[in-house]
Amino acid sequence: MKIVVCVKQVPSTNEVRLDPETNTIIRDGKQSVINPFDTYALEEGIKIKEKIQGEVIALSMGIPAAEKILRDAVSVGADRGMLLSDRSFAGADTLATAYTLSLGIRKISEVDLILCGKMAVDGDTAQIGPELAENLKIPHITNVSEIIEVSDNEITCRTITETGKRLVKTKTPVLLTVLKDINMPRLPSIDGVINSLDASVIVENAESLRANKSYIGLSGSPTQVVKTYIPERKNESIEIEGDSETKSEKINSVIKEVI
Amino acid sequence: MNNNIIHCIKEDYVEYLRDESRTIGKAESISFPKTGEEVIDIVKDMYSKEVPITIQGARTGLAAGAVPRKGHVLNLSKLNNILGMRVDEEDNYYVTLQPGAILSQFKEKIKLRKFDTSNWSFESKKVFNNFCKKEEMFFSPDPTETSATIGGMVSCNASGARSYMYGPTRKYIEKLKLVLSDGDTLTVERGKNFADGRKLVLKTDKGMNIEFVLPKYLMPNSKNASGYYVEDNMDAIDLFIGADGTLGIITEIEVRLLKLPEIIWGVSCFFENEASAIGFVEEIRRNLKDIASMEFFDKNALYILKKQKERNPGFERLPDVDEKMKSVVYLEIHTEEEKVALSNLEKISKIMNSSKGKSKDTWVAKNDVGLNRLIFFRHAVPESVNMLIDERKKENSKITKLGTDMSVPDEHLEEVIKMYKKDIIKENLESATWGHIGDNHLHVNILPRDNKDYDIGLKLYEKWAKKVTELGGAVSAEHGVGKLKSKYLKVMYGQNHIDEMVDIKSTLDPKLLLSPGNLFEVGKRSE
Amino acid sequence: MSGLIIDSDACRGCGICIKSCTYEALEMKDKKAKVNENCILCGMCIDSCPFDAIKIEKEKTNSIELDKYKDIWVFIEQNNGVIEAVSYELLSKARELSKERNCSVKAILLGENVGKDLDVLFAYGADKVYISEHEILKDNLEEVYLEFLDKVILDYKPEIFLFGATNFGRSIAPRIAARVKTGLTADCTILEIDEKSGLLNQTRPAFGGNLMAQIVCPEHRPQMATVRPGVMEAVKKETNAKEVINIDMPSIKEPSIKIIENIIEEKAESISDAEIIVSVGRGIGSQKNLALVEKLAELLGGKVGVSRPLVDIGWADQKNQIGQTGSIVAPKLLVTFGISGAIQHLAGISGAETIISINTDKDAAIFTVANYKVVGDCVEILKSMISKLEKKCEKEQAV
Repeated sequence: MKIVVCVKQVPSTNEVRLDPETNTIIRDGKQSVINPFDTYALEEGIKIKEKIQGEVIALSMGIPAAEKILRDAVSVGADRGMLLSDRSFAGADTLATAYTLSLGIRKISEVDLILCGKMAVDGDTAQIGPELAENLKIPHITNVSEIIEVSDNEITCRTITETGKRLVKTKTPVLLTVLKDINMPRLPSIDGVINSLDASVIVENAESLRANKSYIGLSGSPTQVVKTYIPERKNESIEIEGDSETKSEKINSVIKEVI
Repeated sequence: MNNNIIHCIKEDYVEYLRDESRTIGKAESISFPKTGEEVIDIVKDMYSKEVPITIQGARTGLAAGAVPRKGHVLNLSKLNNILGMRVDEEDNYYVTLQPGAILSQFKEKIKLRKFDTSNWSFESKKVFNNFCKKEEMFFSPDPTETSATIGGMVSCNASGARSYMYGPTRKYIEKLKLVLSDGDTLTVERGKNFADGRKLVLKTDKGMNIEFVLPKYLMPNSKNASGYYVEDNMDAIDLFIGADGTLGIITEIEVRLLKLPEIIWGVSCFFENEASAIGFVEEIRRNLKDIASMEFFDKNALYILKKQKERNPGFERLPDVDEKMKSVVYLEIHTEEEKVALSNLEKISKIMNSSKGKSKDTWVAKNDVGLNRLIFFRHAVPESVNMLIDERKKENSKITKLGTDMSVPDEHLEEVIKMYKKDIIKENLESATWGHIGDNHLHVNILPRDNKDYDIGLKLYEKWAKKVTELGGAVSAEHGVGKLKSKYLKVMYGQNHIDEMVDIKSTLDPKLLLSPGNLFEVGKRSE
Repeated sequence: MSGLIIDSDACRGCGICIKSCTYEALEMKDKKAKVNENCILCGMCIDSCPFDAIKIEKEKTNSIELDKYKDIWVFIEQNNGVIEAVSYELLSKARELSKERNCSVKAILLGENVGKDLDVLFAYGADKVYISEHEILKDNLEEVYLEFLDKVILDYKPEIFLFGATNFGRSIAPRIAARVKTGLTADCTILEIDEKSGLLNQTRPAFGGNLMAQIVCPEHRPQMATVRPGVMEAVKKETNAKEVINIDMPSIKEPSIKIIENIIEEKAESISDAEIIVSVGRGIGSQKNLALVEKLAELLGGKVGVSRPLVDIGWADQKNQIGQTGSIVAPKLLVTFGISGAIQHLAGISGAETIISINTDKDAAIFTVANYKVVGDCVEILKSMISKLEKKCEKEQAV
């Protein structure tokens, strides 16, 4: 079975701080890691590979330095990696990113299963999975809490719905987005880390993917960010005063508003 | 004097009669001073009434140092501000804080470079602006319980996993301000006042000269937090670090920061038997220079962890350990370049394979996310044992934690481990062992099932304290002596030297009001 | 060509943008900032420039006729025939937006046997309701809904299309957005019509909530957004609107996903998932007062949490403990009684959205994280709150 796991390189912390002199936002991008949600997808792919024979390919769209996280993916059990990297991919929103990833998957070809994490911790949109599935014209299932059975052409899994749970079955190829805590992502062993140093990570660009320029990068992005700002954090609490009767009245009305 | 500060201990304050050692004490009153002046007022009041004072930080101590026997509890948790920053000519950064500042919050502030500088001096603010532009720094002492206060850490000379490379809290304390038992204050600064042989002279802020003859004992040649730090020509400040609250009340601390290494990787190495793990540790120690922590967990520790995981929702996220594995050694690599870190990994792999381990039986964390998982795993071990003790305590209130905190010089590591195991098996006791094996400092925890177990455990503890002392080690390597280990301090140094320590204390605290019961019992002198 | 443009006349060489760039894509050359090939067009530098010298310029590529798109459409989500509350919230928001945009609000409801009580949709803000009832729409299958929504967009050309950010909403909205190749912004917390451009300004949290981003979709239609339940307010108003239109069915293939089992469950038991928590600490005084806390939790539809001291002295179970050695919780509402706020406890509640704290000690540490601070007697306030809530309940039942 050929499994592709989509992974994204994200900063290891979401902390944003202000430069005290200039009052501008500084992001400490020192460490980059695999988006934590993707580690569950990766672990699930590796577990499937260990059960039935298969190949796991880690796929990412990112800057050249993102090669590192593809090697990290190999260090825990992926067979190889593919990085889609090109200046013209820059500025992509989820639509353009999903298109670009779909080109990578088409190039890998004959993919049976695509696994994605629920969302990226820096973007938090949770949109790539379904948009990618649409680009590939294959069905998708979100909120997968357990993959129960996998064979070369069929998958049975449990999903979480608004009202409870579902057991669903579908033929491959299919794209699944998995939930946090579906499994316990393993850490690499020393052997894994050392072996990943010369693992195969192929880099593809717009030309080698034969990308349509108007669907990639900034040009391919219908949405754009017009501004970013740090939200005002109310550090001081609002004090509720009065006698006990008054206080309880006020508390009740705050609660009513919140619920 | 504003009497709103001092409260009667009734139902409301019952939790302040205990600390993490799980012993429960008694007291009549408690206060939560918010300023140094309030501390002085309270102390003067107690001094005039001759009421003993027990000093508290976050009460995370394990030796009952913060557990009162009677009198007044002086809780410093509200004396918790960070006051300023400075830099010296060698570009070392220092932060001044009050003793109630919490370690985890302090670490977070350094990492995020978010300090509330609104009340800082102009100079401090300037230094802070530069601090924000520099490479990341950190405060290196890393006791496992990060909700501890800095004041508590100074009082017991706390250490943590990384003290293997960086040393204990002592090394990073640059200046202290203390309130003495009569309300006078004392400032000590590193490098400014040295003893002459064993003669030391201090000058209080009011101008009083205090002269001591320091005890003549030699401190052990291993990791040590037992009793007063004394040596020839010592720096005066070191006397007050690790003094368990017996000499004065710390109201201000200046600490030194270090630059954070570029690369920090964690590696957990699993072994199918403990002997292989110990052989592995000795080889690593001989060959690798970039190791910041070297921690060990025995099979019982792993077993208890597994059991707690099944019952406690808080431990759900702990990774499962292969059943075959009977011990784990955790190493942390600190270095500036990735290729150095990789070469360390390769060496570890070789040594592991030649120590009857397998390099595939390892977990490697190369970033914060992974490191946090390994740290969570390590901290869960003592937490699990505490929970087990709590459960047993419900059936039998006499049962408390019975964990050792002893260290020995390098050459005696294997010998003491053999001794611990032999004795425990012989007495048919339940136990779990883990700790800072790099410093030959293991916490052997006896888990009493009943009073008999507990009593046997205490006897073993005493036997081990004697043996460890014979081998040139320390009876308390990091937790401090507090009240629970004062008898072992006596075993370690003998009554004469204890008397010398009492003399020091009596000079600074003639009415013997501060932290009675910590380090030694006063009033029991040899004739 | 699209890219990052620095206006060298406006640029004063202050260097602030260089500091704000994580990718080292900006450097100083001849006292002016210049961009290099590391730039990934994330836009962080734009806001950092005090002189507005930086912008990202995009080539106009799309050629659809924007004028042909109008009205604000709201996807009415139903599960097993029950309409999700978020749909009402979105209708009310759409009503607000439609006044500014001078257009109508249209609701689209798909399902099996869902056409009974549609008045409520009009009351919450719909001007017209479009509906399709069919067996194939019963199970909220993406493959099926996709085709229906694709046809709706083709036939009716919505200018704006809103979806609730529910499990299903977050699955179907991106799928249809990719089908019609338009922009979608997820988890919006603020939606407004821009005064100048008439575009929908979509604001959402990013970087785990540490940053807010305002997003627009200038040249593609519909402008799509998902909104989390509970963010917008559902407001019922009197209305004369009542037109219901049945839409045509698109051609549908046999869905490839088969549902083997559909289990409807009670809400999760564990305290970590609770949306409303009433927590209690030592300040509650005596054990018998815990009953009051339980009563309040019951009245609010929430769960009871405790701080560690209560577990230590045997008044509560470990499973209710919140904190470092208990459970980590992130409820929408947390009301604390008699909790002082020890650091180990605070570690367990940092994800709570709104915290109301009651404690007799005005300096309790809990107040450093509480949104609402109440210095007072816990038991008195509890009793008073309970009696008021009970009176209100009785009144509502009597009506």
